[in-house]
Amino acid sequence: MNKTLSLSIFALFLSVFLISCIKDTDFDQAENIALTPIVELDLIYFNIQANQFFDSINSNPILTVRDTTEIRFLDDTGLQESLKRAEFYFKFTNSIPRSFQVDFQFLSETNDTTYVAGTSVAEGAPATPVITEFIENVEGESIVEITKANKVVVSVTIPSSDENLEGTLNLKSKTTYFLEY
Amino acid sequence: MRNFLTITLSLWGFIAVSQNKQILYGFDAVPQSLMLNPGSEVTHKKHYGIPFLSQIHVNGGSTGVSVFDIFKEGNDNINDRITQQIFEMKNTDFFTATQQLELINFGWRAKNEIYFSGGIYQEFDFISYFPRDLAILAWEGNRDYMDYEFDLGELSTTGDFMTVYHFGINKQITDKLTVGARLKLYSSMFSYRSVNNSGTFVTTLGDEDSANIYEHTIKNADVSVETSGYASLRELDGASQVTSKILGRAFFGGNLGVGVDVGFTYRLSEAWTLSASAQDVGAIFHSKDVESYSAKGNYTLNGINLIFPPLNQGDSTFPYYDDLEDEIEREIPIDTLHNSYTQFRPVKLNAALSFGFGRFNASGDCDCLNMDGGTQHKQEVGLQFYSIFRPKGPQMAGTFFYHRRVTDYLSAKATYTVDSYSFSNVGLGVSADIGKVNFYIAADNLIKYNNLAKAKSVSLQLGFNIIIDEE
Repeated sequence: MNKTLSLSIFALFLSVFLISCIKDTDFDQAENIALTPIVELDLIYFNIQANQFFDSINSNPILTVRDTTEIRFLDDTGLQESLKRAEFYFKFTNSIPRSFQVDFQFLSETNDTTYVAGTSVAEGAPATPVITEFIENVEGESIVEITKANKVVVSVTIPSSDENLEGTLNLKSKTTYFLEY
Repeated sequence: MRNFLTITLSLWGFIAVSQNKQILYGFDAVPQSLMLNPGSEVTHKKHYGIPFLSQIHVNGGSTGVSVFDIFKEGNDNINDRITQQIFEMKNTDFFTATQQLELINFGWRAKNEIYFSGGIYQEFDFISYFPRDLAILAWEGNRDYMDYEFDLGELSTTGDFMTVYHFGINKQITDKLTVGARLKLYSSMFSYRSVNNSGTFVTTLGDEDSANIYEHTIKNADVSVETSGYASLRELDGASQVTSKILGRAFFGGNLGVGVDVGFTYRLSEAWTLSASAQDVGAIFHSKDVESYSAKGNYTLNGINLIFPPLNQGDSTFPYYDDLEDEIEREIPIDTLHNSYTQFRPVKLNAALSFGFGRFNASGDCDCLNMDGGTQHKQEVGLQFYSIFRPKGPQMAGTFFYHRRVTDYLSAKATYTVDSYSFSNVGLGVSADIGKVNFYIAADNLIKYNNLAKAKSVSLQLGFNIIIDEE
């Protein structure tokens, strides 16, 4: 075998590397890659006893009870950018013979109200609790507002109350987060 | 997040293959074949690698998916393709990347007929198994997976960046048997591993008696990450500081380890030859700059339980959110440890059985290359076996090869390899001597070179040496 032949083999081999390429692919598609997970997560829950609406020491009705919790994950920058829609689901089980107005007030770190939602809860009876379901769908501009909040104030208002009132107002709730990265 | 995904997806199949250098093994025209089997037959008198150019090796692979699978042109949506791939892949599929760069390599035959060789090379090695459940959770969320137990144990990945100093001896003991061994000192610049994890995450719909709508449960979690050379980098500012710090460890500044390579070549008969080697039988002892994180426990999340305590004006309610965080940390504590740990190197096994025919004489009638009686054949065919030990068990490959010594300055080897990546991997290596300068290049998956995007693995080695033959 002469030198010319062996060099040509060598050249052929090198050309394999030179012609190697990437075909029929479109890397611009990377722009369109989107993770769109849908996450189900518990939110808050409570059991309010009927006697919490009456101050037995001073014999006065308490028409509104309030509680507040931080929900610091909500104004996280990552969530602000990726949350497209949030669907809040509240399920009340009421065995108190009164209807209720329940309000959810979302507050920012500086205590500015960014979003409010509320519903009335149907009157129940100690023996036959009544279920009220409430869905609050948040999307579009409202998402921007609600993700500025990092706490929520829950207010439960009863039209009237007395010391003999019995029963429990139960809440279970969850949120479905529609994300897009 | 999107950028990260893009980079990750683009790298699939591009960086490196599973350290299998099937073309170079037994390719005795190239001095670096001695790195794969310290007991291979050495025909030259001396060799010097050209510094930084004597071996450049990159190798990348992915068993489940190719770049083409994701980025091919078409009217269908790229996200649908990714979804499809996530579901088609198994948790035993993996991605690997290996890169090696020889800084120095040299060898010489001493008067006592022992061939000494030594050098320094830098190595990067990465493997990650496909955490299928976690990918599904990230890609789809938990809504459509009620009662499905996501397996946290699928997380299994290791990465190493090190410098290796080595010195080996090689001697033909009898007409038939050549043996060799190589001592290696590892200086680890950066290392992490997260293996042997376990635990599950499940979301179940609660019943009447449940506290809330769902129960989110982490069960028997035991997840850990061990790092070395990482803690001190966190404080640093910018890429240049990190780079200089890491490179500062290259010269014995890192965590040290020791290992050996052993191997032999045995001529069964005039035509048949058997050889085998084990590489990197050893360990690195991580004691400096070690930081490990471990999370263990069980926890069920129900959300936040509001109590509505009676409050006076100005009183604040319970810190529900802080309490919840504290509770999680108490149930599944994340411990940061600084315990030393020993990391075993991934042992690589090579073996070959070859059949040679056609006597090779480099120049005329005298058998100049083989003063000691061995015979080189013009052509060899044979089978090779390769195995590397990985966190979830060995990865193996079988190779059929054809090796031809064309002239004394040109030889070539062709391989057909079956491995975890594919059944159609054809490779070719060429070694050419131009004067005393030896150049070699070896690459596999040549069939895929007309469209690299379709290749699930790519391996490439090339380098320059100066070889001085026996006078």
